[in-house]
Amino acid sequence: MTAIPQSGPPRASSPGVPRAGSAAAAVDLVKVYGSGATVVRALDGLSISFPAGRFSAIMGPSGSGKSTLMHCVAGLDTVTDGHVFIGDIDLTTLDDARLTLLRRDRVGFIFQSFNLIPTLTAYENIVLPLAIAGRKPDKAWLDTVVDAVGIGDRLKHRPSELSGGQQQRVAGARALASRPEIIFADEPTGNLDSRASSEMLGFMRRSVSELGQTIVMVTHDATAAGYADQVVFLADGRVAGEMEAPTAERVLDRLKAMGD
Amino acid sequence: MFKATLRSLTAHKLRLALTSLAVVLGVGFVAGSFVLTDTLNATFVRLFKQVDGGVDVRVRSRSTFTEQDRGGNSSKYQPVPEALVERVRQVPGVEAVTGDISGFAQMVDRSGDVIGGDGPPTIGAAASQDQRISRLNLVDGRLPAESGEVAIDAGTAKDAKFGVGDRIKVLLRGPAEEFTVSGVVKVGSADNLAGATLAIFEPETAHRVLDRPGTFDSVDVKAGGVSQTVLRDRIDAALGGEYDVITGEKLAAQEAQEVSNSFVKFIGIALGIFAGVALLVGTFLISNTFSIIVASRTRELALLRALGARRRQILVSVLGEAALTGLVSSAVGVGFGYLVATGLKALLAAFGGNLPESATVLAARTVIVALVVGVVVTVVSSILPAVRATRVSPMAALRDSGIPSGGHVSAARIVVGVAFLALGGAGLGFGLSDGDITLVGLGALGILIGVAVLAVFLARPMARVIGFGPARLFNLPGRLARDNAMRNPARTASTAAALMIGLALVTFVAVLSASIKVSLEESFDRSFAADYVVTGRGFEGFSPELAAELRQLPELSDVVSLAAGQWRLNGDTTSLTATELSSFARLFNLKTVAGTVPPDDGSGLMVEEEKAKSNGWSVGDLVPMEFATTGVQQVALVATYERSDFAGEYLLAAADFERNFASRLAQIVVVKADEGVVAGRSRLAMAPVLEAFPNAELKDQAQFKASITASVNQIQGLITVLLALAIVIAVLGILNTLALSVLERTREVGLLRAVGMSRRQTRRMIRWEAVIVAVIGAVLGVSVGVFFGWAVVRAIHDTGITTLSVPGGQLLGYVVIAGVLGVLAAVFPARRAARLNVLAAIAYE
Repeated sequence: MTAIPQSGPPRASSPGVPRAGSAAAAVDLVKVYGSGATVVRALDGLSISFPAGRFSAIMGPSGSGKSTLMHCVAGLDTVTDGHVFIGDIDLTTLDDARLTLLRRDRVGFIFQSFNLIPTLTAYENIVLPLAIAGRKPDKAWLDTVVDAVGIGDRLKHRPSELSGGQQQRVAGARALASRPEIIFADEPTGNLDSRASSEMLGFMRRSVSELGQTIVMVTHDATAAGYADQVVFLADGRVAGEMEAPTAERVLDRLKAMGD
Repeated sequence: MFKATLRSLTAHKLRLALTSLAVVLGVGFVAGSFVLTDTLNATFVRLFKQVDGGVDVRVRSRSTFTEQDRGGNSSKYQPVPEALVERVRQVPGVEAVTGDISGFAQMVDRSGDVIGGDGPPTIGAAASQDQRISRLNLVDGRLPAESGEVAIDAGTAKDAKFGVGDRIKVLLRGPAEEFTVSGVVKVGSADNLAGATLAIFEPETAHRVLDRPGTFDSVDVKAGGVSQTVLRDRIDAALGGEYDVITGEKLAAQEAQEVSNSFVKFIGIALGIFAGVALLVGTFLISNTFSIIVASRTRELALLRALGARRRQILVSVLGEAALTGLVSSAVGVGFGYLVATGLKALLAAFGGNLPESATVLAARTVIVALVVGVVVTVVSSILPAVRATRVSPMAALRDSGIPSGGHVSAARIVVGVAFLALGGAGLGFGLSDGDITLVGLGALGILIGVAVLAVFLARPMARVIGFGPARLFNLPGRLARDNAMRNPARTASTAAALMIGLALVTFVAVLSASIKVSLEESFDRSFAADYVVTGRGFEGFSPELAAELRQLPELSDVVSLAAGQWRLNGDTTSLTATELSSFARLFNLKTVAGTVPPDDGSGLMVEEEKAKSNGWSVGDLVPMEFATTGVQQVALVATYERSDFAGEYLLAAADFERNFASRLAQIVVVKADEGVVAGRSRLAMAPVLEAFPNAELKDQAQFKASITASVNQIQGLITVLLALAIVIAVLGILNTLALSVLERTREVGLLRAVGMSRRQTRRMIRWEAVIVAVIGAVLGVSVGVFFGWAVVRAIHDTGITTLSVPGGQLLGYVVIAGVLGVLAAVFPARRAARLNVLAAIAYE
């Protein structure tokens, strides 16, 4: 447990940390499902680094391993071989209890749907990881976050009283609330219409540009990827390419070129 | 996906098993009570066929009524004159005749302790006067032929290690005597008569020691070359219809029936009540399970509806599942009941039942009734959920509804709940005032159902209040536990209601017994001036000689003997207490209203003032008292008295009791020491007398009070233990509901785990939800139970239970225990939630 410092302001670039400048990284990552004849190598010796303070997108065709990669790097899934780092911590050395604490204190999550606890209000959902940890939220930071998601007037509402887009933005605010080292977003706009999508993506963009957060997003939507600083393309469990400063058109072209 | 399917299948199995368990337990007790009573009845029929096998016709007096309701030696057939034997002998076709006597005779073992008497009677009987008729099976020695001889039952011979030639002391109505064992007898193939000990005396001795001078209880006849019925008709004709003449075959059936009525029936009723309670609690469990099953299958049902399934088909499918579940678990329940009955039979035998070997009887009726009960209960319980299933809109298939919210409360629910409460309250009220137990039971049932129906309104506020502590203490897990308990009030309410039933009954018993204890102690302090009380160790009472001997002691100033008896007034059986009136009045602070109390050896009847008034009697009137033995006697009303806790409504002078009753054992002797004699000395003086009567026990005032309290506690404990079954089922219900809720909230728990909730916190969340639900049930149950207690204590005010006592500490203990049971119920669901595979939980299809 001592290996996990209390969360604080951005940290991956602190002096003395290996892999300086990377918020999360995977080294020679292998993930194998099943055994014998039905064995599937979801990740096949993949190495990648997600730089701090940037908005990264992971793309690739179905079965390319993009979700598996995210689950492994976020500490939700175990790896078969290789190493995963959040900051300077090797996740493969942690047991379930320590992984849980790491997720609580150093990682934020936005899922595709069912992001919120239905019995809690929007505000309570936002501070959920802090409440689980029994910590008091940083009022100023929270105001900033709430401001950024633009749901200040709906904080007392329960999830069932919010639109899908509002629910996703509350989830985004929750991911930011504890100032994690890195936020993982798994198809965060998968269930949203185009307007709600662009609001959500705009919010994520601002979180990185203006609030200095680090986001890794799995998506199959080229438009969503267009909001990122960089895109990593996966195929067959390996990195098939990277793209800096992507636009939706360039991403689409690249995907076509990959013979999707 | 395959993995998920498998998991939901195992979950289904578990859910089925838990639902079934409630039915299995309930049906088990239904079947068990049938099997046990059938088996015991069959056993007794066999036993008495053996016993009465040698008797072709019995002649006895026409039955009147039982003059004593305590003890097993009081028969409702009164003695017949000795000369009847010779009259019967004259009837053609009679081959042999003998007169029967049976009465109180209790043997004493080598260490001076009594043998038997703590349940089945201790019987003394006359040996047959004609060897051609014998109801007993001599296995050693010979029947008693002289006045100093006795034959004893094989059970006593075995247990107390007496054999032919040994000397054995026998307690009798008169002074105890010693006899030489001349033989050992069996009853048919059994060692004793269903647990009753037997001391067989030579006939003349029997007349004397069993207190039947010049009379027999009945006359038994063996037929020579004519059938039982022919002989019966001839004897009946010869005696001019004066006596009750029945065939041996009918006698065996009748005697078996009597034993059956006295205690087999009681066992059956007791088991039946607990089966009913178990099934009632099970109803909630089943209904809840099916509600959750329907809720979790909303999308599937909606899809079926969208594809064109009619409401009727949905209804039939859900009810079909219920019927199948009911059938399978009832079948298992019958097996379980068979085991329960076999176990209880073994238990009875272990406690000296000593029944002849017989197979356990599983009648077709038992199986049919058990299956029907199980299926009906299950199907009826699932009607509401099934109807709800038919209301699922086809649109629900298209919506991505997270968790069905439930919890909309219809106005119909209020109407139904209030109606049940009102009807139940009326039933309870009328039942209590009329003394109609069935109506009281139905009324209580109505109130329980009413509260259960309305509990849905209480669930939310109660969860809020009860959950305040955990929410404060355990931050988020506690808070979520409370929210989860509040989110579906209908589910929380019915889960809690199941627990409520058991706790309401347990609480009622606690309040009632506390009130009885307090009231008794109060009346003791108010009107009990004696120093010592002598009580019988068993149910039989003891010889009045004991009181006579105590009276000889100079250390004692008053010795009052009390005996209970029954008599009839204008055909209605009534109880009385027979005693030395003058001493009694002094010792119990009896306040006379009119007339004078006769001296201890005087005659006459004293009546409670209210009773005298309602009968229109005044002092000096002659009361036509009908006694079982002597018929109607005019007894003078000598005095009336104020209501007293110890006197009852009628006090009869000891001398009149002596004249008019056949069985005249004392039940209680109350003693006051002479002023100035220190406690130790008077007790020491009484010691040798009591040593001579080992079936009696001396207690000082405090000990007597404590012994009454102890016996109330004992009964309370017994009932509470039996009711624990209902609580166990309710706890299973909490487990079931919680397990299903966890399953339903898989996504939610997964999310919590993903964003950092530890396994420990997850377990805590589930555990506290269980505690909150359990405590809601406990608080409801304790409240309803206290109300029942209040109502019943109020109704039995006249019997001397005047003070309502609510044992607060004990009831608080029940609530705490309920909370602990909640924790236990949560162990499995909490573990399941904590072990949840986070990734699988949050993955989308």
